[in-house]
Amino acid sequence: MKFLLVRQAAIIAALALLPAAGEAIYFRDKISWRSSIAPGEMVTVDQAGGWGDTAIWVDARPDDEFASDHVPGAISLNEDRWNELLPQFLAGWSPGKKVIVYCSSLSCNASREVAHRLRKEAQLSDVFVLEGGWEAWVKKNR
Amino acid sequence: MKTSLLAVTLSIIMCLGARADLKWEQTSIELHPAANDKQAIGHFKYENTGKTPVHFKSVHASCGCTTAQTQKDIVPPGDKGEITATFNIGDRTGTQIKTVTVETDEAPNQKTVLTLKAEIPQQLEVTPNFVFWKQGDKPDSKTINVKVGKDFTVKHIKVTSSTPDFQTKVEEAGSGQFKIDVKPQDTNKVSASMLTIQPEDSQKVFYATARITNAPAAPVAPGGPTAPARPSAPTGQTH
Repeated sequence: MKFLLVRQAAIIAALALLPAAGEAIYFRDKISWRSSIAPGEMVTVDQAGGWGDTAIWVDARPDDEFASDHVPGAISLNEDRWNELLPQFLAGWSPGKKVIVYCSSLSCNASREVAHRLRKEAQLSDVFVLEGGWEAWVKKNR
Repeated sequence: MKTSLLAVTLSIIMCLGARADLKWEQTSIELHPAANDKQAIGHFKYENTGKTPVHFKSVHASCGCTTAQTQKDIVPPGDKGEITATFNIGDRTGTQIKTVTVETDEAPNQKTVLTLKAEIPQQLEVTPNFVFWKQGDKPDSKTINVKVGKDFTVKHIKVTSSTPDFQTKVEEAGSGQFKIDVKPQDTNKVSASMLTIQPEDSQKVFYATARITNAPAAPVAPGGPTAPARPSAPTGQTH
C-alpha cells in the first residue's frame, strides 16, 4: 500500500513537471524585457566611486525622481525628453571621461536604454550602467 | 493500471484546480503608434470565470513611462473588465517593450505579466548625432549619416547650424540616405553648435550636436581616464 502511494505521488509529480518544463523551454527567450548588456559594461557602486571626477554621472530616471534626489553632480538624461536633454549632457561631456548611467533599481531598464543610445547614436565609448541603480548608490552613500 | 489511471485523473484535476479564475483575453499586445503620437494605449481585457471574487492587490508598471489603471479593485464571478496600460512615448524610438505586473489574491497564479510592445516609427535616423573635435585638432570635416525610416519618404533635408562656427553641407546618398558634412571654422577655441535637421514638408525636427572640446588633461593614473572639470548640473529642471 505504501509503495503504491509513493508510486502515485511520483507519477503525479512527473506529470506536473511536464508543463513546467515545456513552458521553460517555450519562453526561454521571452522572459526578460531588459536590454541585453555585456558584463564589462556594468559597473558597481564601489568601482564607480573609485573613478572620482573622471566620470560623469547620468540620471536616466524620470524628471520628478531626479528633482527629488540624485547623485551629486549627476546630469538628467531620460528618454522622455531625450532630444532636449542630450545636448545639455553633451555640453558637459569631455573626451576620456567615463559615463555612469543609473536608474531606480536593479530591475529598471532605463539606464540600459540610455547607455545603449549614447553608444549607438552619439557613438560615445566608456559608457557604463550602474549595477543596482540609485537604490544601490543610496545604500552605500547615505 | 488502476493506480496509473488514478494518478492521471488526479493530476488533471489538480491542473484544472490550479488554473486562474481570471481569464485574460490576451496578455501581450502589439501597438503601432503613428509618428506624432504622444501615447500608445493597450487594453488588457479579462473575465472572472471562477466562482469567487478576485481582488487586485497591485498593478505595477515596469517603467515610469507607463501607467496602468484598473476599472475596479474587486472582480465578481462572471464579471468582465480591463486594465488600461498607457505608454508615454516621449522621445523613445524603435521597438519598446513595457510590462505591467498584476497581482491578485487568487492562488496559485497571483501574478500575471502583461506585455505592451510598441513599434515607434522613426522618420529619420541620425548617426552619429554628435561630432566633436579636440581643441587644436585639424579642422577636417566629419560626416553625419541620415537614414530615412522605412515607412517614410523624404526627398530633401534642410540643415542649419545654431552658430556660424560650423559649416554644413548636405549630400544625397541615394536609397533614402543623406550625408551631412560638418566642418568647424577652426578648432582654436571651445565652441558648440546645435544642428537642426528638418525633412522637407515636415514639422518634425531632428538634432545633432557639433562641439570643439577642451584638449584633454594628462592622465591621472596608468590606463585611467583624464579628469577635466566636472560639468555643472543642467539648467531648466523644473521638477
